[in-house]
Amino acid sequence: MRVDTGHVSMTAATIIELPFGMSPAADAKPDERALVVAAQRGSNDAFAQLVRLHQRRAYAVCRAIVLTHEDAEDAVQEGFLHAFKALDRFLPDQPFGAWLYRIMANASLDLVRRRKVRDADELPEGVPMPFRDPGESDELRRRLNEALTKLTDRQRSVIVLHDVEGFTHGEIGEMLGIPEGTARSDLHHARASLRRILGDVRSDL
Amino acid sequence: MSDIRFGLFPDDDDVVRGLRAIYAAPAGDAYWNELQSRVMARVADVELGWWTELDRWARPALAAAAVLLLSAGVAMFRAHQSEAEIAADAMLSSPAVPVSSAIRPAYQDDQGARLRFLFGR
Repeated sequence: MRVDTGHVSMTAATIIELPFGMSPAADAKPDERALVVAAQRGSNDAFAQLVRLHQRRAYAVCRAIVLTHEDAEDAVQEGFLHAFKALDRFLPDQPFGAWLYRIMANASLDLVRRRKVRDADELPEGVPMPFRDPGESDELRRRLNEALTKLTDRQRSVIVLHDVEGFTHGEIGEMLGIPEGTARSDLHHARASLRRILGDVRSDL
Repeated sequence: MSDIRFGLFPDDDDVVRGLRAIYAAPAGDAYWNELQSRVMARVADVELGWWTELDRWARPALAAAAVLLLSAGVAMFRAHQSEAEIAADAMLSSPAVPVSSAIRPAYQDDQGARLRFLFGR
């Protein structure tokens, strides 16, 4: 289920001011626990409000794991669907966000696995999937995209989840199903690789 | 959009700025409203499916099956226990035949037969 939205262009200034992709309106949370309980009792309106509250962050989690904006959208929808089906198993005393983002991460990892199987059939080996970047005009930015393809999937996810979305090592480990120490080490290696690759790029320009 | 500026040797801040630009979430409420609508449309599809009913009944059915199994187990155990109790009671509490008469008749019969044989009936 894909729709070309054309909304991805955003000024960097806005991005830096709102590093987690959250709008100010999304910060004004109603009683989340009450919404969860109501949704568990069958209120679709309550679930819709939970979707509204969490969809930006959910998108950010998915986007860090999958390769394209379209895949992130698919993963977000799958993730919310899984969450809806599993809602009765959620204990309202737990943090809903952490539970939901784990589901989102799993949905994204599933999608990445499916894409890999499909791409192995369709594409010659070694062809990187392009990132969606409609406003791409900057050479260094293009090179950063290329540099990101040199990282492993997990390193890329970890660096985006940590450096862009602000998740802790522990949260990332939980989402990706890896130990916290592994997340920490992946982040270190990812940063080092990007610095090295971009340093090479800069000296080439 | 050439707002990403790397130094000669890009440091972490440069990289983070670049990553944020690449991984920027879509802006504008219209996009998020539409995404929310799509999510809720899929949720509604799920709710209309017959499997939802199955899914809804799966847990009560499992619980009922577990209760039935448990009840059957308890009933079988009790039946076994009461049979054993009845057997034990029957053995201990019913001296219907005195021991002497319970053992002797065969012996007496044999003895009588011998005597009848010896003394020519």
